[in-house]
Formats: sequence, structure tokens, C-alpha cells
Amino acid sequence: MSPRVLVAGLGNEYRSDDGAGPAVAAYVRERANIDAKVIGEPLDLIGAWDDVDLAVVVDATRSGESPGTVQLVDLGGDESADSYAGPVSTHGMDLARVLRLARAMGHAPRRVVVVGIEGENFSDGVRLSPAVEEAVGEAGELVLQVIGEMA
Amino acid sequence: MSHQRPADSRIVKVEGLARVEGEGTLRVEVSDGVVERVELEIFEPPRFFEAFLQGRRHTEVTDIVARICGICPVAYQMSASLAIEDACKVAVTDQITALRRLLYCGEWIQSHALHIHFLHAPDFFGCADAVELAGLDLAAVQRGLDIKKTGNHLMEAVGGRAIHPVNVRVGGFHRAPSPEELNVLVEPLRRARDEALTSLEWVAGFEFPDIEIDYRFVSLRHPDYYAIDSGRIATSDGLDLDAKGIAELVVEEHVSRSTALHARLAGKDVYLTGPLSRYALNSAQLSPLAREAAAAAGLGAVCNNPFRSIIVRAVELVYACEEALRLIEAYEPPNPSYVEVPGTAGVGYGATEAPRGMLFHRYELDEEGLVRTARIVPPTSQNQLSIEDDLRRVAQANLSLSDEDLTWLCEQTVRNYDPCISCAAHFLDVSVERR
Repeated sequence: MSPRVLVAGLGNEYRSDDGAGPAVAAYVRERANIDAKVIGEPLDLIGAWDDVDLAVVVDATRSGESPGTVQLVDLGGDESADSYAGPVSTHGMDLARVLRLARAMGHAPRRVVVVGIEGENFSDGVRLSPAVEEAVGEAGELVLQVIGEMA
Repeated sequence: MSHQRPADSRIVKVEGLARVEGEGTLRVEVSDGVVERVELEIFEPPRFFEAFLQGRRHTEVTDIVARICGICPVAYQMSASLAIEDACKVAVTDQITALRRLLYCGEWIQSHALHIHFLHAPDFFGCADAVELAGLDLAAVQRGLDIKKTGNHLMEAVGGRAIHPVNVRVGGFHRAPSPEELNVLVEPLRRARDEALTSLEWVAGFEFPDIEIDYRFVSLRHPDYYAIDSGRIATSDGLDLDAKGIAELVVEEHVSRSTALHARLAGKDVYLTGPLSRYALNSAQLSPLAREAAAAAGLGAVCNNPFRSIIVRAVELVYACEEALRLIEAYEPPNPSYVEVPGTAGVGYGATEAPRGMLFHRYELDEEGLVRTARIVPPTSQNQLSIEDDLRRVAQANLSLSDEDLTWLCEQTVRNYDPCISCAAHFLDVSVERR
């Protein structure tokens, strides 16, 4: 049986570079028969990624790297997700907490890989910055490669 | 519970309040056994939405203000729509009003389910977050997720998306959903209503700090139903105002520690908006099932204990599910799905009930319909003085607690309000200092 895979593009397309995740999900969807969804907030991953073998979460990052830098963080199946933790707010939970919650609830993906694209502008707007726009293809190909290695 | 300490002098300080939206700090100063200062500091960068709006077309406002908040975008869209339609002297049809109320129910379901199960309930179990809570009560957390998901689906069906709906326009909706698109939500909403009833029983069984506060309640009131999307404004001391009246009565002032404005009622000072106020002023208008469930959960006609606001939210959650079912059953697609709103010079006001409290807007338009000035008064800035007032009372009554326990209780006091600090800033961390 082929592995069940979900690609989740996290972010808000109306907040400029926060739309990087959704843009990569669209890239993957156009090139492969893979379930690639846009997810507005991390908590909505629960339900969408239940019990899949591999979840590739694509998200805009703000790590201090230069804009458009693509990074891969393999959260694996272990409990090391906390290094990715951000603040909790009423607007939801960060990815690491959502993964811990999914594990506590017994429906976590077997493996979670995060592909990040460094953003530079998160203000209102529907356009990606040129460097981020350019990195969408690189990130999309990386997602396909991670999935290909799994098959 | 850790060891008790004598009343003394100290400072309780929380830098980076958890489970609230936005960033803020809380500082409580205790001197010789007396709480001397309480400051809710809000330091997220101020949001200049009111300035962004100047010079924009009146038809652009609903899309811009939806961006103010990811959790109550509908509230912003609805208050803005009412205000602009008021300025342009246009009334929408009953069918549009009903569809707006249905969309608003989706936001209440989503927001209340999240706050009750993920942000507030962990406080009552001594848990840091919902992940720890899931270890103690997995079913409750699962229920919260299920109910929230139904709210998301309702928002998608009516608003076009679960966050920042795109289907809303001044005068109504870009497109009215078909009855079939709404009918598929009936079964999930029935399940959500039943799950909300279970959650109401669950929260009613929590242990609550014993405190009663004589609030000045302020909320919308509608002659025909529990006010959400429209109505006049009522206060527990007998005022009856329209949106213009409240906008004129509320005085906002800037204080140096906060980038949110502090609101007061002119000549009356602090007031409370949100679930406790709505319930106190309008509980008779809840559905029979919600009223019965509220009574079974131990609520009287008025609830003065801010910690029990979680019970009131659960009652409102039951109601929002039922109301959505009622609206879907009675649904007639508005045709056309909007009324034209030609831009004209004028001043308009609009007030609605966001999940965390009343939100009012005022717009002044020029003859081409461009926004000359905008004023947006979110619930958290209206409640900021009330939060500080609660903190003063709660801290004073619990000085025997250790710093750790007192800090926890102060944080919980802030979370009773489900504060949306980003909205208010146009912002939380906590500290208790004893000297």
C-alpha cells in the first residue's frame, strides 16, 4: 500500500509572504497527484493530517536568514518538536504544540517534515516578495523530493 | 498549592501572558499587604487601521477591517457594514440580515469553542495548555475541536473562507449560498449543539474562585432575539442608546503603558462588555434549551463571577448552534445578494457583539464615499479598565497565596476576558511585586 501523504501549505495569502506555504501547496498540486491543502492556522491541521504516514508542512519563516532561503526541518516521529515552538495565542497554537496535541490525541502523522521559506514582508497584500516568489519552485521541488524518498 | 505567605510587599509580574492573543505584560504591586498598582501593559506595535482607512472607498472597508483580527473578522466586517450603510442611509433586506447573523453564529461557535476548550479550561486543571489537558481529558479536547470545526465549516459556507471571510461586502454578500450548501451543515450543527451541552455540563463542574463583582454591564439588546449582529445598546444602570449614542458616550484615553486606548463611559468610568454583560441583559431571550441548560449549570439571571464566564460562553455556544440551525431552516437566499450602497457624504455608526464583547465603528465619508475619518473601538480596549479592576480585587483577596499561585490566578483573571490584545492595540506578560 502506498504511503498516505498530506502537503499542508500554512499561512494567509492576504499577508504577503505569509502566503508562501499556500503558494507551494499550489505548486505541488499542479505537478503531482498529491493531497496538497491550504491550512489557515496550525490547529486546523488536526483532522486534516490524522494518521497520515507523512505530513509535509510548508510555512513562511522568520529566522534571520536571507529572504527566500528554503530550510527543511524533519520533526520525525520523535518528541523533538519543541525546538520549533512559538508563542501560544487565542488565535490558535503553534505547529509544535499542535503536533504534541495530535500525539496526545493519538492521531499524529507518523512523520512530519517542515519546509520553511524565509519571508521578509508580512504586511497586508497578496504579492510574495521577489525573493520568496523565486523560492516557491525550489521549496516545491524539495517537497516532491521528500515525498519521492518516502515512496 | 504551595505554602502560604503572610501579607507583605511584593510585585507579581508576568512577562508574556500565555493563551491570550497579542503581547502584553501584567504587573501587580503589593505594598504592606495592600494592592497599590495594577497595570495591564500592552506593547504590541499599535495598529494604524483607523489611519489606513482614510481615503479608501467605502466599499473597501469591510475587506480591510477583516484583517484586524484573525479570530473575529466577522465582527469587524459586520460593525463596519452597519456603520457605512448608516452613513449612506441604506437599509438591507431581512434576508441579508438573517444571513449575516448566520455567518456571525459561525464566528461565535469557532471562537467560543477555542476559548472554552483550549485557552480557558486548562486554567481549571492547572495545565499549561490544551496538550496537557488532553492527557487528563482527551474527550473534552476532542469535543472542542469538533465544535470548532463545525464553526469553520459554517464560516466557509457563508463567508467563503474559515478565516477572513471574502464573501462579505457593504450591502450584503457577493454571493448567497444555496439552501443545499447550508443544509449539509444541519447534522454537524446538531452534533455540535449536543457536544456544546456536554461541554456546558463539564465546565459547570469546575471549581471557581469565590468572587462577585458589581459590574456595570453594557451590551447590545434586540427586541426580538439574543443580540449578536444588531440592536440598540443597553446598560445595567438603565441607559438605552443607539450606536451613535454609545460612540459619543465612550471616552477613550491614551495611557503611556499601553498602545491600546482605554475606554470609559463619560461620567461613569469603568464598564464591562462581553458574555457576562450579554447574559445579564438578555438571558431571557436565549432559546428555551439554552435557558434550561444555563439553569441546570447553576446560572441565575445574572452572573457576577468573572471566573464563571466560561459557563456563560458555553451557554452562548449552545445558543449559537441552535440559532444557526434555526436560521438554516428558515433560510431564503437573498436575491439579489446585496443592496447597492452608493457612496454619499455622511457620518455612520455600527455596533455588533464580537464573541468577546461589543465592537463599534464610526465612519465619516465624503461626497464620493471616501473615508474621511474612522473610529474603531474593540471590546478588549473597552474592558481593559475592568480587567485591571478585577485584578486589583482578586490579588487583594488572595495575598496569602505564594507568588507562583498568585501569578497564576492573576493570569487566569485576565484570561476570563478572552482578551484579543492585537485587536485592542490597535495587546500580555504578568507580574506581582510585593514590597
